[in-house]
Parts: sequence; structure tokens; C-alpha cells
Amino acid sequence: MMPTIRGRAAYIFGEANFDVDRILGFDAMRSHDHERMKAGAMRAFDTEFAKEVRTGDILIGGSNFGYGHPHGPPMAIMRSFGVKAVIAESFSPLYLMGELAAGFVQITCGGISETTQRWDELEVDWRAGRIMNHTSGTGLDFEAPTRNERLLLKRGGLFALLRSIDLS
Amino acid sequence: MSGEPGYTMAEKILARACGGAPVRAGQDIQARPDFILAYVFGGFVGFPKLIERDFGVTRLDAPERFGLFLDHNIPVTDTKLEARMAEVRAWCGRQGVEIHDGAGIGHVVASEAGYAVPGAFAVHFDGHVSQLGAFGTLAIGIHIGLYEAFARSTIGMAVPETVRVTLSGRLAAGVMARDLMHHLISRFGADFCNRKVLELAGSALETLSLDDLQTFTGLAMFTGALTAIAAPTDKVLAHAQGRSRTQLAPVFSDPDAIYAADLTCELDEVRPLIAAPPSSANIVGLETLIGESLDVGYLGSCVSGRIEDLRVAARILDGRTIKPGFTLNVVPSSRAIMVQAAQEGLIASLAAAGAFISSPTCSYCYGAVGALTAGQRAISSGTLNIPGRMGSADAKIYLGSAAVVAASAVEGRFADPARYFTP
Repeated sequence: MMPTIRGRAAYIFGEANFDVDRILGFDAMRSHDHERMKAGAMRAFDTEFAKEVRTGDILIGGSNFGYGHPHGPPMAIMRSFGVKAVIAESFSPLYLMGELAAGFVQITCGGISETTQRWDELEVDWRAGRIMNHTSGTGLDFEAPTRNERLLLKRGGLFALLRSIDLS
Repeated sequence: MSGEPGYTMAEKILARACGGAPVRAGQDIQARPDFILAYVFGGFVGFPKLIERDFGVTRLDAPERFGLFLDHNIPVTDTKLEARMAEVRAWCGRQGVEIHDGAGIGHVVASEAGYAVPGAFAVHFDGHVSQLGAFGTLAIGIHIGLYEAFARSTIGMAVPETVRVTLSGRLAAGVMARDLMHHLISRFGADFCNRKVLELAGSALETLSLDDLQTFTGLAMFTGALTAIAAPTDKVLAHAQGRSRTQLAPVFSDPDAIYAADLTCELDEVRPLIAAPPSSANIVGLETLIGESLDVGYLGSCVSGRIEDLRVAARILDGRTIKPGFTLNVVPSSRAIMVQAAQEGLIASLAAAGAFISSPTCSYCYGAVGALTAGQRAISSGTLNIPGRMGSADAKIYLGSAAVVAASAVEGRFADPARYFTP
């Protein structure tokens, strides 16, 4: 079963080619200190983010979201805040593969960054292939995940998927 | 004529990797990599236990396909890191996996050690492995998807589309492959190959050196590409002969292959371009920065530090002195390159000019050594310029070619390398 995604748009990264490492800053990432990374997360964008985010929230991205040489900690920290999904205009491939393998829902949806306002209530309708915006009463079709992406999303990531297969 | 369109290099390579039947872009496949390459990435040390305990895998499928590279945090700086390295060495010994220990930056060593086989399919945790595409290898960074390649014989993926960039002309003296990449980003956007393969073609491929091609393809991720690949020239095929770990027929795209986009680029139009903070997508002309002060230069990383980079730097610095107060770190990207540079006298020229020369390591690229402090400004031929990448988040990193790094080291400010190449 595909994961249930319904929550607020906790932040909109509107700029194209956004490098997610900027969420933490590479100097914090180099420390490998989870608490330090969490304490400093999003400071460059919204110093109140950690207080405002809550479980079930969603991040919105622009085109080629995850650009560059993405590392795991920024979205691991976002997951620790309770963020359940990222919906973006498009994703960079290395970022996308890494986060889907981590079991983090990533959805490609053209127009999402322009039509969503921060804190809008969104819901993913997997069956209809639409992102429903309950705040504005509108909806957008999203790009259907590939077979492999669906498998990762259903199982909750690569490790869970591999555990479900007889590899011996 | 069947009317069936032709296939791209990527489609042909992946068709062989998943059994031989033709595949098309967009198709879901399970593909068997010819090579699975890795460095000591996060959690790797726990991975052998994980695949045994959770996945029931005690032996790797065909361990000769695997290669491990100890290149980050080399030399180690504490006992905990050394313990991690020792554990990896022991695991490789038990599994029969070849380990390249301190031989240099893994992607570069991979190209020297026979993994860059024209027509092969290789995967790595890290996206800069795309540089094996210089040799006609389809080499893809798959992040933690690499665990799948360790746990079973195939990986799940979709066949990517391809964007072809046909090159013509010739790069001017002092203009390098890094500038070409920045030129394409500036011209077509930082996502013009989003999730696709960037295929290089055209008569100008013959004018580019293998070092040029490796630098260019190693930077493919900054176009949004999954990877890059070049149609192998006679020079590439001759280079691969005798080095390749496996013998495969080289692969070329069909003339009527289907491309997502078909672009052209005239190399004579390329000029020195800089990626300014905070992102590799932020390309500016070198001329807009000329004269602005700099504190540090870094010449190295998996996308630089090759013998041609060192030759260019030595040509600029030979008989000159680095500007007092400016620090230049030069890091040959492999042991073999360092040996060659020493034999050619390049190391002596660079050191005599005042450069600090290091043995090959990834560590400078992410500030584990040679760290920048707040307020410093660096010109780097490394991979990334996001805040904090090489130390303080309040330092600024500008990315450019080895020629720009060396010329700027002489003057202690952004400098155009062109005047050092005037006959």
C-alpha cells in the first residue's frame, strides 16, 4: 500500500536547482553531530522552522530540487522533524534515488511550487494521481512513479524491500 | 528497413546488462552492473553485518565485480577512523574484494585500474563516478541504492533518456574542460539534462584529451544529469586496450537513435567561467571577478588534479612565486599521477613557487584538511561551493579551472590565465 500523505506545506523552496545541503550547511554536516545539525537546520531560510514544523508536514521544491552532490543528513533531519514527503517540480537524480531508497516520499508535480502557499493543507491521492490542495480547493496531476519507485514507496525504502526478498 | 528507430549508447549498454533484449528509455529493468565501486560511505562498516543478518547474504555475487577505494579521510587523523579503515580492509580480504588503499581518489583510480571499460555498466554511491563516461562506460551514482548492488546481483532502475551534445571546434589555450561544463550550464541551464544521460559526440571529441573528458563527465551532475558518456574515440579505445578488466565490444549510439534533446556547442566560443557561491549553478564570467582578492587556492579533487591540470599549473607558476599571503594547496588526484608529475618535474616547479603539495586524498575537497576560516575567499578546482564545504560557512568558494587557480595564485586575486599562454 502506498503511504498516506496529508499535511501542511511547511516550507516552499521556490528557487530552481536547490542544493539540499544548504538546509544544514556543510560545516554542520561535517560534524556528524545529529543534535547540532538539527539545532541549526533551516537557519538560513527560517529561524522559526524547528518550532513550527510538525509531524505529517510536506516540503515543496522547485525544479531540479536536490541539485548538486546531495548528502543524506539534510533530509534525515527533516524526517526527524516529522516531515513525510517532498513534492517538487522536478528532482535531481542522485537526490531522488537516495531519498526514495531511504523510504522518503518524493513526488514530481509540475506547477506545485507556484500554486501552493506556505501552510496550505495538501493530500496525495495516489489512485487519481493528483495532489489535492484542501486550502485552495484545487488539484494538480503528478508524474506517476516508475515501477521501482512504487516498490520502494510501498515497502518503505530499500532496506525494507531487500528484507522482503529471499536473497540467500 | 524495419522502421524501428535506433538505440542510444545508454540503451545498448543497459540492454546487455539486463540480459540482451533491447530496452528503451522509460522502461523499468533489473540490470546487473559489471562493476560495483564504493568508498567508505556512511554506515558502510555496518553493512557487512547488515546484509548477513537482515538479508541473509554471506557471500557477494562475483566479488571480482567489486572495488573498494580508501580515499576519504586519508591520511587518517584519529584512531577511530583508522579502526574503520582496518575493518574495511579485513572485510574486503574475507570477501575477496579488491581494495585500493591510499592509491588516490577512487574515481580517478578506477579509470587507471581497468574499471573504465568502453561499453561497461558501473555503479557507485557517489555521482562523480560519471567520469568513467569519458571512456564510454555508463557509470552511475546511485547513492544508498548501492546497498542493493551489494545485496543482490541486479539493481532496479528505469532506462534513462539521453541528451546529445555535439561538439565542434577547439578549446583556446588556457581554456579547460571545466570552462566547457560551466559554458553549457550558463547556456542551457543547470537542469538541461535533468535525470537524463548527457552524451558527448562530434568531431571535437578528438581534440579533447582524456583528462578533459574525464573532468567534464565527472561534473555531469551539475547539469542535472544522471551521468555523462562520450562516444569512444580511437584514442579512448587504444587507452582502454590492455587496461580493461573485462573485454566488451565498444558501444556507439545508432545514427537514428532517439534523443530527448539534440544540442550543439562550438568549443571556440568557450571562455573562462566561474561557479560563484552558493551553488555550481551560479555561473559568472571570469572577467566580472578580475582583480577581486583571494586568500586560498585549491587544485585537486576527483574533477581536477590530473596530469594536465598539474602541467598547466606548473607552466603558469614555473619561475614565478605565489603571492605572499596566498595559500595554494595542490593535490594530485592519484598516486600514479603524483609519480608522473614528479618525473616530469612538475612537483618541483609547483613547490618552488610556494605551493603546498599533498599526496592524493579527497579530504581537501570537503575541508577535512586545508579548511577555510570565516571571511576567506578561495578559488578551487574542486567539486562544490556550497557554504561550509571547505570549512567555515562564512568563507566563499569560487570554482574554476586549474589554469584560473594557478594564475590567481600568482596574483593573489582573480586572474585570467590567457596571458600565460600567449606565444
